[in-house]
Amino acid sequence: MTDAAFSALGSLADPSLLLMLAIGVLAGLVIGLIPGLGGTGAVAILLPVTFGMDPEPALAMLIGALAVVHTSDTVAAVLLGAPGSASASVTMLDGYSMARQGQAKRALSLAFLSSMAGGLIGAVGLTLAIPLARPLVLSFGSPELFMLTVLGVSLAAVLSRGNVVKGLTAGFLGLLLGLVGTSPTTAEERFSFGSLFLSDGLSLVAVALGVFGLAEIASRVGQRRVTEKPVALTGGWGSGIREWLTHWTHVIRGSLIGIWAGILPGVGATAGTWLAYGQAVATAKDKRKFGKGDPRGIVGPESANNSVEAGDLIPTFLFGIPGGVPSAMLLGMLLTYGIQPGPAIVTDHLDLMYLIVWAFAIASVAGAFLCFLATGSLAKLTKVPFAVLGPGLLVVMLLGAYQEGGQLGDLWVMVALGVAGFFLKATGMPRAPFLIGFVLAIPMERYYYLTASLYEGTEWMTRPGVLAFAALLVVPVLWSLVKKLRATSGAADDGHRDEHESEGVAGDELEGSLAGTPWSAAVAVVAVIVFGGALWMSGSFSEEARLMPRLVAGFGLVAALVLICQEARARLRGAGGHPVEDVHEPVGGSGATGLATRVRPSADTPALTRHHDLVIAARTFAAMAAFLVLVMVGGYLAATLVFTPAFLLYAARARPRTAIVYTLVLGLVLLSLPSLLPVDLPTGLLQ
Amino acid sequence: MTIVVAYADTPPGHAAVAAAVAESSRERETVIIVPAVRGDAAPDVGEVETRWPDIAGRVEVERGDLGDPSDTVVQIAQRRDARLVVLGLRSRTPVGKLVFGSTAQRILLDATCPVLAVKPTVAGP
Repeated sequence: MTDAAFSALGSLADPSLLLMLAIGVLAGLVIGLIPGLGGTGAVAILLPVTFGMDPEPALAMLIGALAVVHTSDTVAAVLLGAPGSASASVTMLDGYSMARQGQAKRALSLAFLSSMAGGLIGAVGLTLAIPLARPLVLSFGSPELFMLTVLGVSLAAVLSRGNVVKGLTAGFLGLLLGLVGTSPTTAEERFSFGSLFLSDGLSLVAVALGVFGLAEIASRVGQRRVTEKPVALTGGWGSGIREWLTHWTHVIRGSLIGIWAGILPGVGATAGTWLAYGQAVATAKDKRKFGKGDPRGIVGPESANNSVEAGDLIPTFLFGIPGGVPSAMLLGMLLTYGIQPGPAIVTDHLDLMYLIVWAFAIASVAGAFLCFLATGSLAKLTKVPFAVLGPGLLVVMLLGAYQEGGQLGDLWVMVALGVAGFFLKATGMPRAPFLIGFVLAIPMERYYYLTASLYEGTEWMTRPGVLAFAALLVVPVLWSLVKKLRATSGAADDGHRDEHESEGVAGDELEGSLAGTPWSAAVAVVAVIVFGGALWMSGSFSEEARLMPRLVAGFGLVAALVLICQEARARLRGAGGHPVEDVHEPVGGSGATGLATRVRPSADTPALTRHHDLVIAARTFAAMAAFLVLVMVGGYLAATLVFTPAFLLYAARARPRTAIVYTLVLGLVLLSLPSLLPVDLPTGLLQ
Repeated sequence: MTIVVAYADTPPGHAAVAAAVAESSRERETVIIVPAVRGDAAPDVGEVETRWPDIAGRVEVERGDLGDPSDTVVQIAQRRDARLVVLGLRSRTPVGKLVFGSTAQRILLDATCPVLAVKPTVAGP
C-alpha cells in the first residue's frame, strides 16, 4: 500500500502532471475569488477542458482546483463582505468585521493557513480511509451495494437543509430522470418517447451543468453589483500567522467536522462550515467577540470548508456514492474514462486514488502560498460583476456538455434542466439529492437485479451488512419524524447544534425566495404530474423493467402529494393571518395559549425583487435558447461571436470596448482549443 | 447593570419576563429580551411594554449574530455584562429531553453570570 502511495508521488514528478496540477490550482484560485462560484463552478468550468485527456492529468487538474477553491473564496468574504461561495459566508461574519477594524491581513492569514491545514488534514483523512475501507469495500456483495445506493439517496434527501419532503421529492425526481433510457436488465426503452437520443439516457455532465451551472448563471446574472469599496489590505501577515498557531485545536476540530460533513451525502461545504462555526462558539468560554471579529470564528470554519471537499471524495471513490455535487461531477468524469468507482477502484486503480490524495495535499499548500503572494493584486477580481462572466461561462459549460456525447440534444436537455434547476433552487428544493438520485438510479437498479438473481427470495436481507445499512436507513427516517414533531409542537427547546437554518439568511438571496408562493405550489403540482405520468407509462413495460420506475414513481407521487398538502396548509394559514393576539393576556395567566404565533411580514419589496429575479432568469434562459438556435444554424464559433457581444451589451450593459475585447478573446480561445486539446466544436447547418 | 431574559412566546417565557420585571424594579436596571426560540420572530418592544408596563422605557430587544439560541443568550449576557440571566423552564419528559436537547440546560452551564430559572405558575384562573 505504501509502495502505491509513493509511486503515485513519483508519477506526480512528471512535468505534464505537475503542469496540469498548477493550471488547476490557478484556475481554482481565480474561480474561488469570483463571488458566486464555488467548488461546483470550478468542476463545471474545468470539466470540458479535461475531456480527451488521460485520466491522470485530468484528475490532477480537477482536484487541484477543487482543493483551493475554498482557500481563495475567503478573500471576497473578508475584503468585500460578499462571500466568494456560499460556504465562505461563515467566514464573513468574523472576517469582515476584523477587516473593518483594519486587520484584514490578520483575518486573511488566519483563513489561508486554516484552509491549508484543512486541506492537508482532509488529504490525510482520505489516505486513512483507503486502507480502513478497503477490506470493508471488498467484502461488499451486490446486496450491500444496493443498500448503499438507497442509503446514499435517502441520506442526501433527509440531510440537505430544509424540508424533508422537498428533499425526498427532489431525490425521487432525480432517480426518475436517471431511469430515462435503456433498461439495464431487459434492454427495453423507458421514458424515451421513441427518441433515439433519449434511449441512450441523459448525460450526467449535461444534467449536472444544467441543474447547477446554468441555473446558477440565470439566478446570478441579475444579482446586484458590489458597489462597496473593498476594505484596504492592512495589518501584518505575521500577527495572524503567530495567532494561528495558538488555535491549532480549532483547526483540527474544524477539519474533522468538515471531513464528516463531506462523507455524508447531501451535506456539503456550506452546512459543514456552519457546523464548525457552531462548534467553535459552543465550546468557547468567552463568546463575546463572535460575530465581531473573533479569530476562532475564522479558523474552524475555514479548515472545515477545505476538508469537506476531501471528505466528499471518500464515499465517491470508495463506494461510488457521491458525497456532494462537485464529486458527483467527478464521478461522471471517471465513468466516461471507464473507471467504475466503488470496489473496483480500490483493486484496479489504487495508484489513481493516491494520486488524488497527493494532488489534494500539494494543491492545498501551493494554493495557500499563492494566496499570500497574490491577494493584493487579485482582490480586484472580486469586483467583476457576474453578468459579464455569464456568456463566457455559458459558452464553456455548453461546450463541456457537448464533449461527452457530441450531440446538440444534450445542450437542449441542459437548458431545459437549467430552467428546472432554477425553479428548484428558487422554491427551496435541495438540488443535491436530485443529482445524487440521478447518478445512483442505474447502479441501484443493476445491484437490485444482481441481488435478486443471486439470492433466493429474501435471503439477502439477512446478510449482516444489509441489516446494518437498513438500521442506518431508519435513523434518517426517525430524524425526520423528530424534526416534524418539533416543528408542529412549536417546541421552545431546541438544543441541536445544526446551524442550517441560518444559511438561507447569510448565503444566497435567491435560495428559497419563491418558497410559499404560487410558484412553489406549481412546482409541487408539476412533480405530481410527472410522477403520475411516469407511473402510468411504466404500466406498459415488461415485468423486469417495470419494478424500479414503478417504485420510484409511486413513492415520488406520495412525496409530491404530501408536499402539495404542505403547500396548501401553509397557504391557508397565511390567508387566515394570525396577528399576535395574546398581548393582553394577564401576566402568568393560564397556560392555554401556548401556540407559537408567527407573524408573516407583509411582503411588498420581496415580491418586487422576486418578480425582477424571475424576469431576468426568463431573459437569460431565452438568451441561452437563442444561442443554441444560433449554434444549430451557424456552428459554435459563429454563434459565440454573435451571442457574446449581444448579451454583454444588452443584458450586462457592459461597455462596447469590453464587449469587443471579451468576444475576441473568447473567439480566439474557441479557435485554438481544438488544436490544443481533443475538443470538438458543434457544427451548424451552414458549415 | 442589566438583566438578560431568554424569551419565548410561551407561558414559561412570559414567566421569565415577569421575574425579570420583579428583579429589575428595585434598581431600575435595563432588561434585555433575547428571543431564544430558533425561527421565532423577535418580539416587538411596544408589545412588551404594553404587556409589562413596569419596564417601559428600559427594555430592549436584541438579536444575536449566532445561529444557536443558547449561544446567543450567553453571548449577549457577556457582551452587555449582565448581572443576571432569567429563563423559563418547562416540564420535559426524559425522552423528550434526550431527543431534543435543551437550550435551558446549555444556558445554565455556559453562562458566566448567575442564572435565575423560573417556572410558570400552575394553570389557574
